[in-house]
Amino acid sequence: MVKVTVDPLTRIEGHMKVSAEVDSSGLITSAQSGGMLFRGFERMLQGKDPRDASMHVARICGVCPISHSMTATNALDDLYGVAESVPQNALAVRNFIQAANTIASHATHIYILFGPDLANPRYRDVLTGSTLSLGATGQAVWNELLGRFAPLSYKLDGKAIPVGTSYLNAIPEKKRLQEAIALFGGKMPHQAVTVAGGVTCTPGLGEITKSAAIYLKVMEFVQNYTLGVPLDTWILNTAQAKSPDAAVKFVTDHLASLISKSSGNDFSRENGWKDVEFFAAFGSELVGEKILGLPASLRLDKLGGYQDPSKISFLSYGSFYDSTKDGYNPESPTGERFLTSGVVSGNLKFEDLDTTKITESIQCAFYEDDTPSRHPYDGTTVPVSKAEQINLEAGPTEKYSWLKAPRYNGIPAEVGPLARMIVAQDPLVTGLAKAFADNGMSPANVYTRVLARMQETAILAHKIVDFLNDIDPAKKFAEPLDLRAAKEGRGMGIWEAPRGALGHWISTDKSGKTKNYQAIVPSTWNLGPRDENGIPSPVEQALVGNAISGVDNVGGADYTNPVAILHVGRSYDPCVACAIHTIDATGKNAPRDYELF
Amino acid sequence: MASEKLNMIEQFKNLDILKVDRRTFLKAVAALGATSFVSLYGNQLTEALAAFPETKVLWLHGAECTGCSESALNGSSPEFADALSELNISLVYHETLLAQQGIFVDGKLVGNSELNGEILLKELVAAGGYILVVEGSIGNGPDGTGKINMIGTHPFKKIYEDAAKNANAIIALGTCATYGGITVTDSDVKKYCDFMGVNQTENKKGGMNAVLGINKPVINLPGCPAHPDWFFLTVAAVLLGKIDLNNLEGVLDGDGRPKVFYPPQNTLHDNCPRRGFYDRGVLDERFAEGGCLWKVGCKAPYVHADCALRKWNNGTSLCMQAGGPCIACVEPIFPNGSMPFYVERESAGVLFGVNIGTVAALAIGAAVVAAGVHAVRRVNKEK
Repeated sequence: MVKVTVDPLTRIEGHMKVSAEVDSSGLITSAQSGGMLFRGFERMLQGKDPRDASMHVARICGVCPISHSMTATNALDDLYGVAESVPQNALAVRNFIQAANTIASHATHIYILFGPDLANPRYRDVLTGSTLSLGATGQAVWNELLGRFAPLSYKLDGKAIPVGTSYLNAIPEKKRLQEAIALFGGKMPHQAVTVAGGVTCTPGLGEITKSAAIYLKVMEFVQNYTLGVPLDTWILNTAQAKSPDAAVKFVTDHLASLISKSSGNDFSRENGWKDVEFFAAFGSELVGEKILGLPASLRLDKLGGYQDPSKISFLSYGSFYDSTKDGYNPESPTGERFLTSGVVSGNLKFEDLDTTKITESIQCAFYEDDTPSRHPYDGTTVPVSKAEQINLEAGPTEKYSWLKAPRYNGIPAEVGPLARMIVAQDPLVTGLAKAFADNGMSPANVYTRVLARMQETAILAHKIVDFLNDIDPAKKFAEPLDLRAAKEGRGMGIWEAPRGALGHWISTDKSGKTKNYQAIVPSTWNLGPRDENGIPSPVEQALVGNAISGVDNVGGADYTNPVAILHVGRSYDPCVACAIHTIDATGKNAPRDYELF
Repeated sequence: MASEKLNMIEQFKNLDILKVDRRTFLKAVAALGATSFVSLYGNQLTEALAAFPETKVLWLHGAECTGCSESALNGSSPEFADALSELNISLVYHETLLAQQGIFVDGKLVGNSELNGEILLKELVAAGGYILVVEGSIGNGPDGTGKINMIGTHPFKKIYEDAAKNANAIIALGTCATYGGITVTDSDVKKYCDFMGVNQTENKKGGMNAVLGINKPVINLPGCPAHPDWFFLTVAAVLLGKIDLNNLEGVLDGDGRPKVFYPPQNTLHDNCPRRGFYDRGVLDERFAEGGCLWKVGCKAPYVHADCALRKWNNGTSLCMQAGGPCIACVEPIFPNGSMPFYVERESAGVLFGVNIGTVAALAIGAAVVAAGVHAVRRVNKEK
């Protein structure tokens, strides 16, 4: 047994460590995931003006700040009792900036954080080495991987590699989307406009037309680099397909036609192989090798799957309000939001979301409490008192992470684009998930996780125009608050960050100040430690059984380049700074010396 | 058009960017567009540094949210990748962007620096001669161990110490790295975590460098996040020798910030797009009304930053333009001195921890008259 540790797992947000026990055949037998930084965010809000939460907690994360301020704002809408009266305009602006942030965040993940692993020397060895003897085809695929996805300052065998074309050209688009957000939000990261009751901005036709122009510019990139069919055609035949089978067939037919005109091993963009097509075909053994008959693939569908469907579920709180009317339901009932809330079991059965079933366990986290699990409204967090108790080498039955372990009905839940697409029953992603299940494989794996992120990007890029359209500059953008409503009150904000389900829970004291604030964030769901029943978190489950070097360890296992850990860890798009922060119900802070009322 | 631009380039060619007054500087940047501005200096740089072809930038992440990296990627004129190539910067280490990661087999570092970030970092630190960029604050807790933030088996405090010792200069990027920022928000775990800025924590000078006995040139670029121009133009100025690292006093203010971006004589309020409403007394008491944001908590009259002229995200907008009150994110007192964010300063009683009357007494220059007016009103009220 060999212990392979990746620390820090880079190209994520924050500080994360993954360690795995690997047997003599190169298969992972168990894994532990640890968060390495504690900032104490929620404790900072105690005794403060509740309204400060929206701007303050945005700083939990600079990659998805919109989601945090949005979720805090939802909790405040609920606390002040104004959720049902938030003007349609404010809902449309919030939707727009969230959608643009999600698209930008997904693009960042696909191209800058996850993409570079596709240029890992492991694939050079597999594709151009002697084990599989893939000849010119292997070389051509490797050339595409390196040419598209090589990161900044990359070297192989001492030779500097030029930055990948997809990587390099994605940066300005991400930046452009941030400009569209700034038109409404003032600046990015850390916009200034989401407040309880609405938004502070009053965009006019200028802002709306300018953001439309930015949108068109971004779509040029999508057309040139990302997707080989027009977006409308893609959406019509996948997201809006008649059935999951029809969506999968559309994609596999499209890929088959590309293959038929690539007999000379021309997998270039110019020949129609944009990044989505390239990844969809060469990322999966089932799709690429078995269905399409390609000679090789990266077999990412054999990494990051779950072995026991009874110990996993897929959770979404629902995202994007109905911005055609005023007000929204803070409970996010099934079907109300554009991407609906819900929970899907490991066996792909749907049920309605019930937030009372959410708990967080501190059994294996560096906190102390007299009970291992609590609902977030009652959440307490007291970090371990002595430095020597922070033992990052501790085993799976001890405390080994700053992340807590959230559970839904006692079961770990994967959150993020894959969960959202499964919960919302997107035909393409559900079709693929079923295809994997029918072939005895886990419906969730590195391949479906990345493909779901691509599919959601396409869906939002299509939908975002509607949100712009819902803004009417002649109507109001905010509803005033009655600050007295916050006395001894509480509020729940549930929303979807790019990385998954994000919930904030606030309660206030009799002077109207924050008594308790709790956030459960996506990466805590995905990357937490074990709970009091010893059940590992999604990422800890997803590593078990993986070939440490990927591609079924062909050519032998190489512990010094643990591709499986890199792919699986990053496939969740970790945001570890988000995932670690604590709350204490005791409210030890002295109240500040100002009057709220 | 082309010749006009050329003339302007001639005109500003000898501009010493951090020593000219702010107006000339901004005029120059605005007239040329920052791209030509930087590329102009970039060309000089290539000539001047022919024997010194590459500047290494080593970027570390402490207690942070990655917002300052995101902001750097938002750089427009210069764009991120352009700035790196035009300024001949080699970004040798950056956890969010590079290929490498730390890899250990049975507790031992394995492989080489092409794949293993821990080995790469050791090699880079040993070689020295880089500009160190620090994003995020540095954890000292609990009990001085720094274990609050661990990376690759070491406390970040130790990683910072090693990297800082061999750096030519340190740029503290963003308010967390400069002054502790959001990570030093008052709470009952503040002491336990004990987060510090590089050279200063809140208003207290010294920061982690004092704890570790590190004495290196430090430039503070606060902001939550820091503006990409502040970063790239500062780096450019350092590379061009326009900022003399051995003589920073003239270019930096009392809080270690380049005066050209954080002008001591002016406040953000001076150039606020909503200033006219303030002057006419249109002071909103609710959001989304379009007027001055003073009464809903705006801190701009006390804040020194050129946001209102430079604007954010490629000159698109800024907080107040979008109706969001300034929360003073570039100041050492952020956020403790600027919370509650949405309460009028006078109602809050204290300003950045200082009695409002004291601030009025200290106020100099026309820029702070606005603050003075309010302070006087308050003093009258108290009488």
